[in-house]
Amino acid sequence: MCGVKFPTPFLLSSSPVSNTAEMVARAFEHGFGGVAYKTLVIDKTKIIHPSPRMAKYNYGSKKLVGLQNVEQTTDRPLKDNLLDIKYLKKRWPKHPVITSIMGFSENEWIELAKMSEDAGSDMLELNFSCPHMTVEGSGMKVGQTFDLVEKFTAAVRKVVKIPILAKMTPNITDITEPALFAKKGGADGITAINTVRGLTEIGLDDYVPKPNVFGKGAISGFSGPAVKPIGLRFIAEMAQCKELNLPLAGCGGIESWIDAVEYLLCGASILQMTTGVIHYGHRIVEDMCEGLSDFMTEKGYENVKDIVGKALPNLHPTEAFDLKRQGIAEYNLDRCIGCGQCYIVCRDAGGQCLEWDGEKRRPVQDKEKCVSCMICSFICPVCDPPMITYKEVKNKKPVIPSVSK
Amino acid sequence: MKPNLTLAQAFAEAQRCLLCYDAPCSKECPAKTDPGTFIRKLHLRNIKGAIRTIKKNNILGGVCGVVCPVEKTCQKACSTTEISRPIEIGKLQRFLIEYGWETGFNPLKNTSGKKAEVAIIGSGPAGLSCAAELAKAGINATIFEKKEKPGGVLRYGIPEFRLSAKFLAREIEDIKMLGVKIKCNSKIGANGVKNFRKKGFNAVFIATGLWNPYKIKIPGSDLKNVITSLEFLESVRNGNRKKITLMVKNKNIAIIGGGSVAMDAANSCKELGSRKVYCLCLESLAEIPASKDDLETARDNFVIIKPQCQVKEIVASAGQVAGIKGTETEWVKPNLFIPSNVREASGTEFNLKVQAVIMAIGSGPDPEIKNLCPGIKYKSNNLIKAKKDGVSTADKNIFAGGDIVRGPSLVVKAVQDGKEAAKKIIKCLN
Repeated sequence: MCGVKFPTPFLLSSSPVSNTAEMVARAFEHGFGGVAYKTLVIDKTKIIHPSPRMAKYNYGSKKLVGLQNVEQTTDRPLKDNLLDIKYLKKRWPKHPVITSIMGFSENEWIELAKMSEDAGSDMLELNFSCPHMTVEGSGMKVGQTFDLVEKFTAAVRKVVKIPILAKMTPNITDITEPALFAKKGGADGITAINTVRGLTEIGLDDYVPKPNVFGKGAISGFSGPAVKPIGLRFIAEMAQCKELNLPLAGCGGIESWIDAVEYLLCGASILQMTTGVIHYGHRIVEDMCEGLSDFMTEKGYENVKDIVGKALPNLHPTEAFDLKRQGIAEYNLDRCIGCGQCYIVCRDAGGQCLEWDGEKRRPVQDKEKCVSCMICSFICPVCDPPMITYKEVKNKKPVIPSVSK
Repeated sequence: MKPNLTLAQAFAEAQRCLLCYDAPCSKECPAKTDPGTFIRKLHLRNIKGAIRTIKKNNILGGVCGVVCPVEKTCQKACSTTEISRPIEIGKLQRFLIEYGWETGFNPLKNTSGKKAEVAIIGSGPAGLSCAAELAKAGINATIFEKKEKPGGVLRYGIPEFRLSAKFLAREIEDIKMLGVKIKCNSKIGANGVKNFRKKGFNAVFIATGLWNPYKIKIPGSDLKNVITSLEFLESVRNGNRKKITLMVKNKNIAIIGGGSVAMDAANSCKELGSRKVYCLCLESLAEIPASKDDLETARDNFVIIKPQCQVKEIVASAGQVAGIKGTETEWVKPNLFIPSNVREASGTEFNLKVQAVIMAIGSGPDPEIKNLCPGIKYKSNNLIKAKKDGVSTADKNIFAGGDIVRGPSLVVKAVQDGKEAAKKIIKCLN
């Protein structure tokens, strides 16, 4: 990407997981192919982290489908971070270090960019997207003010030779607008998405949103598997933007090789992750490397870049759908276990095309009435292969419910 | 008792539930506890609602969660079985009840009043359940219990490791809280039911259970160390522990029977330090009536189960039990599990060296029952003959339920009888 070679497309994103060289080195040992090093700031910007700084978002028994955080930029002295970057480049010369920086003025951006390049960084990532800086005039607020994106990118462009990525916020309607401003400023690629502004949990006894920082909560960055659909969307939108035409670093909820492949198919060239590492540790990259490589072998691809953007030709605005073709949810009742969930959801939320045979404990489908919403198949517990599948029905008319009697 | 599930474990188990339409598990619960509903409530984090559902439907929900042979009732019907393994319904039920105790949540309120007076004879599951239902309807229910402590078979027939006295006492607390009065050490003598009516009780519910243990008559069955499971388990549970320990500690024991009571006796022997414990029964391993859980505990305790065999003689030496003689058997006709349907398999005679024999082959009604209440009908085996509804008798103000009507049966069915009787009593009093 941008002329820089990565041993694997999997990187740590700029976050608590890329806070020190020691952590990053361990990630490299496990198979990460690079790092977006945690955002550097000028020493006079005093960063003190709120305590506690993260909160979980669980669903049912599933832990950490999302993560809320009020993490700031690095709180380490600039000198220490630059020494760590030098150390990494010396020990792991083939593993690119993308140094994330954030200035509070044009001069700061310039200063940080130069120092990072001097320390041996392979690329820069301009943090225009932190959603919860406790210090004014920075982060996401820049990303939402397009001329500043262009101005700061251009300032950095003038003083460094290494490629520049601009990291974008998803807390915006159209991500291609600021991305184009970054391009105009001279960015060589775009990273997206940073965390989505959210609220995960409210204390039911104290009414304080979490993380509860001594009685105060805040709308702040939300990440993890729950935001993957949002990340994929922004990557795809930028990848489809012909005017932009920049390589993309994708992030947002990547945990398995399948997530990774999906980001690649939507146009990302490299992938960054944090919440997955927070949940499982560095070892997840082992399974991503293996999974991605098996996928490519199976599909007959040599290089990762061969699958980048492969899904884009199939991504259309909804008005492009062929509405003449209709179908139904088809039931293979031989394998039905009689739980009746399909009946409940079809009756209460679907096309009401099912009756319930209480004797046999089986649904009875009126195919004419099926609207092919497919919700029955989503909750059906019989999988591998699924018992309820979509089937096109030739000449089927769209189902329009009649007036209630 | 086995440790309770944690909230996280219970929640994870409830997450596996498929939340069936017209849940088959709920249909299979004899006491209509409605697991389909309380598991859905737990699944959706409505924990208080889940506890409310159980307590409303089954006042002994905690006890049933512990002692019910769930693989033969609710869990047998679980749809999840076909894709993985059934939901552990009994464990969830017990969890919720205990969770309510731990967190101080009790969905029931004292609503008892003075609409009428009902006397209940026996504080086993049927009696307790009937009393609770009556109290909920504003009727004054008084239970008369012969023994020192309430609970009947739950207190005296099930060993501590399966159902602790503390657990039972806690659940009975909930029942007392409804306004139910329990009078222990109150043996009801001849014509007791008639006297209750004279004293002003508007109705009487007889739930005395079966306390007359069967003993097979074979040579040696009168020897000193040949006792019934009822005597044995009651001694273990209630005081004579020293004497009973002396009888079984470091000894080999033969237990005759293959039901849950036989396994309880076998496991209790192991707990008291017996060496070899044999369980001999007529059924094959596949037919054995004990619940899967009880069998598993027995196997964990290295109880030796000898299926399809018959004890022919208890051998004595110097007036003491020294061993048993038996043979292997087979059924004459299939699916008819009664002693008269077995034949010996020739050449399979065996001897076991044991120093005590415990007969766990069930029990019947106390013959005195007929004196207690002469005005109603009895079957030839002294069980009370109830009408079609299972709880009404020939006298419109006298009701009966539990094992004294059904014969040996499940706790959960006695609970249902209590509920049903209460319904009928309320109707009769109106």
